[in-house]
Amino acid sequence: MTELLARFAPGLQEWLVLCAVLYAIGLYGLLTRRNAIALLMAAEIMLNAAALNFVVLNRFTSPQLVDGHVMALFVVVLAAAEIVVGMAIVVALYRIRNTVDISHMNYMKG
Amino acid sequence: MSIIIPELIVIGTAFAIVLADLFMSERTRVVIAPLAALGLLAAIAVNAIHTPVTGELLGGRFAMDPVAWWFKILFMTAALFTVLLSIDTLDGRAGVRARGIGFRGEYYSTILFSVVGMMFLVSARDLATLFVSLELATLPLFVLAAWRRDDPRSSEAGLKYVILGALAAAFIVYGFGILYGLAGSTNLDVIAQRLAGPYTPAFLLAVALVLAGTGFKLTIVPFHMWAADVYQGAPTPVTAYLSVASKAAGLAFAFQVLYRLFGGWVPHWGLLIAVFAALTMTLGNVVAIVQHNIKRFMAFSAISQAGYFLLGFLGAADAGVPAMLFYLLVYIVSNLAAFACIIWFANETGKEHIEDYRGLSLTNPLMALALMVALFSLAGIPPLSGFVGKFFLFSIASQAGYHWLVAVAAVNSTISLYYYLRVVRQMYIEPPADPAAPLRASMSLSATVAILSVGVVTLGIFPMVYDHIHATTIAWLASLAQG
Repeated sequence: MTELLARFAPGLQEWLVLCAVLYAIGLYGLLTRRNAIALLMAAEIMLNAAALNFVVLNRFTSPQLVDGHVMALFVVVLAAAEIVVGMAIVVALYRIRNTVDISHMNYMKG
Repeated sequence: MSIIIPELIVIGTAFAIVLADLFMSERTRVVIAPLAALGLLAAIAVNAIHTPVTGELLGGRFAMDPVAWWFKILFMTAALFTVLLSIDTLDGRAGVRARGIGFRGEYYSTILFSVVGMMFLVSARDLATLFVSLELATLPLFVLAAWRRDDPRSSEAGLKYVILGALAAAFIVYGFGILYGLAGSTNLDVIAQRLAGPYTPAFLLAVALVLAGTGFKLTIVPFHMWAADVYQGAPTPVTAYLSVASKAAGLAFAFQVLYRLFGGWVPHWGLLIAVFAALTMTLGNVVAIVQHNIKRFMAFSAISQAGYFLLGFLGAADAGVPAMLFYLLVYIVSNLAAFACIIWFANETGKEHIEDYRGLSLTNPLMALALMVALFSLAGIPPLSGFVGKFFLFSIASQAGYHWLVAVAAVNSTISLYYYLRVVRQMYIEPPADPAAPLRASMSLSATVAILSVGVVTLGIFPMVYDHIHATTIAWLASLAQG
């Protein structure tokens, strides 16, 4: 079984396609969803796709160095920080408005 | 070591404020704002006097150069004036008290953390440092935009800002990932060297992603849509900070990307930059004409100003860099002067529509004069500093052969004069709403407005400011050519 798996081990191309697909799923979610929490989840998927991208490229371009891993760690931490701020704002908004549907976010218009 | 001292002072002040805030009673918290201002003042002084203009730290990941030196001074100055302008609103000394805008310790420390992020941004020489400092600069801005928790508009502004900010961050970091994969290094100069050569599809994708993210930060059309709602919903002092410091950080990031990362290619992208500049100027100006809310009006004005900044990237770097830095200085001073008057008016009356400014020349002539001078400077009326700044930028575009763009920019300046005059007309020609109720201004706010107005008038008259910027940045360009 392990031999079979090793024979069909994904290469650089497969991994990069996985990253791109994850990124595209996040982007699609961000453009189509109306629930603010779903939007934050979509943004998180995009950032994590980017982090995975760094790990993959580190593995296949310069496996003796760790630059990409370090970068991926920073991206994960910053994505978490971004979501914390976003969720805090969503909670504050829910307390006033009782909704997190962004199609109702039209208090300001020009 | 000494090149990082200004950053350490600002970080130290921020943490000191957070800690001190825990042990203070509500009455003693009035000292927090002066403390924040003193910390920034000390950092500016250390940066201006003590810090060498070149040097590097942390294995070259943190470096100082003349352009970073100027940017740091500008960031800290913008933050210092924002702190001074926030005092009245946050201490509740305003005529009409803004609800739900307390938490002084957290407020001022959040501003300081954002400034530290911007200061690290200009010194970053590594993808990781660059991305982390960019996020450190913008995450506090999301929090500040949503500061008034009981105001649905403020929370809405914060939500829109955080989602589009996350999108911009995702663009930038995915682009960085591709650049890292192509070059095998996270050092900006090494990436620039290794990627020199013919275009590859992956490289073009990375360029598109990074430039789109930069466009978000700098509010370049078509990535400007967050600005209007965020500027309108955020508390007014925060809007002032966003319009100057966030724009300055966007320009600093554009410098890092366009001069350091893609320095070899930018001369071939002139037409692309010119088209974006023309779009940004025109859309910002045309939409500003129909605005009624003054904060939204200033948002579109700020978008159009971002278009003028882009003109500086068209020419040779030795002309463009000093011209953009000088215009940034002028823009910061002029925009803060205008916002000082807007903050003061919102504090005294609680109103923020352009029609509410009617008769201001009778109710407070000095403030009306200051606002008029600031708006004229933003429009580029000759003796004021805005004219000189725009003149340098326009001449760069003209020398680079983009005469059509200079024509577009000149037409846009005229359009902008029309809508700035709308405010002036309300203040000077329309009669006041309720007769003869003079509006007073507090000492701290009056002093800030006076300093800023003097800056608006004198920066354009005394040529040594520009000469000094020009002379110091030439050294930066020489170092860039070697690296």
